[in-house]
Amino acid sequence: MRPEQQGIEVAVLVSVGRHPITGRARRADQDARGLEMALGLERQLPGSRVSLLHAGPRSEEGEAALRGYLGMAAGAGMAAGAGMGLDTLTLLEQAEGSDAIPALAEHLAAAPPQLVITGARAERGEGSGLLPYALAERLGWPLVNGLAAVEKVENGVAILLQALPRGQRRRLKVRLPAIVSVDAAAPVARQSAFGPARRAELEVTPVAAQPDRALAEWQLAPARKRPKRLKIVKAASARDRFKAAAAKAEGGSGQVLEGVSAEQGAEAILKLLNEEGVLR
Amino acid sequence: MLETLLPILIFAALGLAVIGAIRRIRLWRQGRPSAVPLLKGLAALPRRYLVDLHHVVERDKVMSNTHVATAGGFVAAAVLMILVHGFGLAQGVLGWLLLAASAVMFVGSRFVAQRRRNPPARLSKGPWMRLPKSLAAFSLGVFLITLPTVGLLPADFGHWLLALVLAAVVVWGLGEMVFGMTWGGPMKHAFAGALHLAFHRRAERFGEGNRSTGLKALDLDDEAAPLGVEKPADFTWNQLLGFDACVQCGRCEAVCPAFAAGQPLNPKKLIQDMVVGLAGGSDAGYAGSPYPGKPVGEHSGSPHGPIVAPDATTGGKALVDAETLWSCTTCRACVEECPMMIEHVDAIVDMRRHLTLERGQTPNKGAEVLDNLIATDNPGGFDPGSRLHWAADLNLPLMADVKQAEVLLWLGDGAFDMRNQRTLRALVKVLRAAEVEFAVLGTEERDSGDVARRLGDEATFQSLAKRNIATLAKYRFQRIVTCDPHSFHVLGNEYGELGGPGAPARYEVRHHSTFIAELYDAGRLAFAPWKGGKVTYHDPCYLGRYNGEYEAPRNVLKALGIEVKEMERSGFRSRCCGGGGGAPITDIPGERRIPDMRMNDVKETGAELVAVGCPQCTAMLEGVVDATAEVRDIAELVADALVARPAAEAVDATQRPTAEEVI
Repeated sequence: MRPEQQGIEVAVLVSVGRHPITGRARRADQDARGLEMALGLERQLPGSRVSLLHAGPRSEEGEAALRGYLGMAAGAGMAAGAGMGLDTLTLLEQAEGSDAIPALAEHLAAAPPQLVITGARAERGEGSGLLPYALAERLGWPLVNGLAAVEKVENGVAILLQALPRGQRRRLKVRLPAIVSVDAAAPVARQSAFGPARRAELEVTPVAAQPDRALAEWQLAPARKRPKRLKIVKAASARDRFKAAAAKAEGGSGQVLEGVSAEQGAEAILKLLNEEGVLR
Repeated sequence: MLETLLPILIFAALGLAVIGAIRRIRLWRQGRPSAVPLLKGLAALPRRYLVDLHHVVERDKVMSNTHVATAGGFVAAAVLMILVHGFGLAQGVLGWLLLAASAVMFVGSRFVAQRRRNPPARLSKGPWMRLPKSLAAFSLGVFLITLPTVGLLPADFGHWLLALVLAAVVVWGLGEMVFGMTWGGPMKHAFAGALHLAFHRRAERFGEGNRSTGLKALDLDDEAAPLGVEKPADFTWNQLLGFDACVQCGRCEAVCPAFAAGQPLNPKKLIQDMVVGLAGGSDAGYAGSPYPGKPVGEHSGSPHGPIVAPDATTGGKALVDAETLWSCTTCRACVEECPMMIEHVDAIVDMRRHLTLERGQTPNKGAEVLDNLIATDNPGGFDPGSRLHWAADLNLPLMADVKQAEVLLWLGDGAFDMRNQRTLRALVKVLRAAEVEFAVLGTEERDSGDVARRLGDEATFQSLAKRNIATLAKYRFQRIVTCDPHSFHVLGNEYGELGGPGAPARYEVRHHSTFIAELYDAGRLAFAPWKGGKVTYHDPCYLGRYNGEYEAPRNVLKALGIEVKEMERSGFRSRCCGGGGGAPITDIPGERRIPDMRMNDVKETGAELVAVGCPQCTAMLEGVVDATAEVRDIAELVADALVARPAAEAVDATQRPTAEEVI
């Protein structure tokens, strides 16, 4: 612990997630990874404070999901002694269908933390992944996406490791305060424990709700699985196989059949399956 | 001289023993309250001791007789000694009785000494090695001082030096047997053990044929109640008393599958660690086998200190390491063998509850499995809507459609496992052949909560259980039949405590082997004669030790015309497959694998096939590489042997001779 390494204030933005199979409310995977990263920072930089922030309506289901984040306090708090700041979560209460961005920006601007961590994309609602960008724009802070690790925080400057596709990493120097977003490259979230989750408190602050006009105009429908192009690997060596595994499937020769008879369509499909080697 | 000295010695020892007893009782009372009827318990003590406890001790005939002689002799000698030498009531027959009692005790002490000559590894050494000498000192001393009393020797016999030596021997004997009983010597087991029997937390387990194996529910509505056990004082007082009763005979150690596999668990050491915890100190004084791979003397604790170090990553040590607690398969072999009726599994799950519910430290795949149970109601994270996919072609009647049925077929999470689906299909075939009116819950069924509970996640268990109870309350059925002994146990023994006013949650549950045996006895099934090779049968822990069903599976195999080649460890001594208690999920490394050892047991019988009755056992035993025997569920064996049964009206003993001929 060097003297210049002082603790920092970290705010983690958490949302109510949605389980991909059953659709039940849960702690969102990416946001939980964000909190995991914040708790790791807490260990790295003693004296850091982690606070949790959520903007949205208050519901029983949502509260249980949010408590999932608070249940992560267990392991870390004991090692560092008390004073984790994880026994509460600030809930900016808004009506259903409100825009979370102004409320969050206002709250963060009022008492700016040095680092804001958020997941890259919400699991319900729009899930556009634009929230970190919109927040960064409003606050005028730098944004780093796809964070893999915070390596060092010194004199108001953070050394960050950003994840790029196919396992590549880029080291960045960012002046704080900053917003960072995490995705699947960040460390997996620890287990959430029932006891601390149950005991923790939600600090509810009603905020002025700005209805999300854009969202109101949209039509929501269940997502359909997108067709995925098959990858045909004709590799002779291990190196080729690895390259093929790491490469993305490339399309380009697709065709749209419109106004054809069922037979013609079937023939086209059969031809494609033969070309792709699915049928032999 | 001795006449004046003896009453002083005896009453001094008794006085000190009373002080020790008060100190010991105060140690136990550090635990949380537990309501037990004190007087009723004390009244039940003689029966529990002479019948229930003796039942267990009797499994080792020599030791049983040794104990009867030594303990019986001691109790009689001690009482008579107080009368004869303490109060000077030497007239008449009392002195002679005292002579006889001490002589019997002396003979017993010689057998104890014999056993201590080359003690098996499971026995603790240390202070226990001096016990035969102390027993001999007490019995011999009492015998000799009583000789003049009854007039066999003149009252002024011998030199004053002899009297002094004799007094020293008596002091030694009294010290070990009376003073040591409450101050923590080996004889503590008699004092704590007697009270433990009287105030046992599971009074319902005593009595012929009774068992009490369901875990006790945590009160989750009471937010002040601790979630599990963090420190020794979080145990109930009678649990602490139970730990103190341990006689360190090591029978638990000898049967523990985790210990045999070289995983860091030894039930005896665990109980001794709890004793260290309740009194405070280090485990350096422990003189038995350690946890495999963990030297003795590095751990210590106190009644109000944590049992498991809060942050193991920094290398901190407390009383017990977490991996010790996670090595247990909850097979109950230790509880079954324990002559002191200690409940090891309860204690382990209590401590696991703290680790999971308060610290979120369920190791390895534990967290993932628990998250899956919360989000998808099954441990594998499968789509709950796909629970019945395996039976797409079977057209199973759904409870939601039929509303009532004679039999509710509980599928269990094996419905997602391709291996167990074969068993389930076989079972359906058997039920249809016997024309049983049954139905399934289908996608309304959830995991029973067994794994969650044994991993310490009582919250998820109760959530699953309560939703299952609510589902079951919607339908009418006479009994539940399942091929999963874990579901069987949880539904039958653990849901009862959680039922509400609208849903009593008391079900009649049958294991499929029991149900098949009943169907066969009723003449509803007929089998072709067995043509395969030698067969052995593996008792699942949750069917056998947990529920006492040893006979039905064997009867089914017998009906199939199979003569079971029993393994050395079968029935109530069956060795675990390693699949219980979430052990495959927490996966604590050892030197060997438990299922490998079990398949070796199978190999020793020369059997080509091992019949099982549990999806966990099937998975564990089939996972053994280079096994010499095939693993088949009883339902599969039955389904393969099905033949059209003779005309339904004519079913009687003479009409189903196929099976009987080959027996």
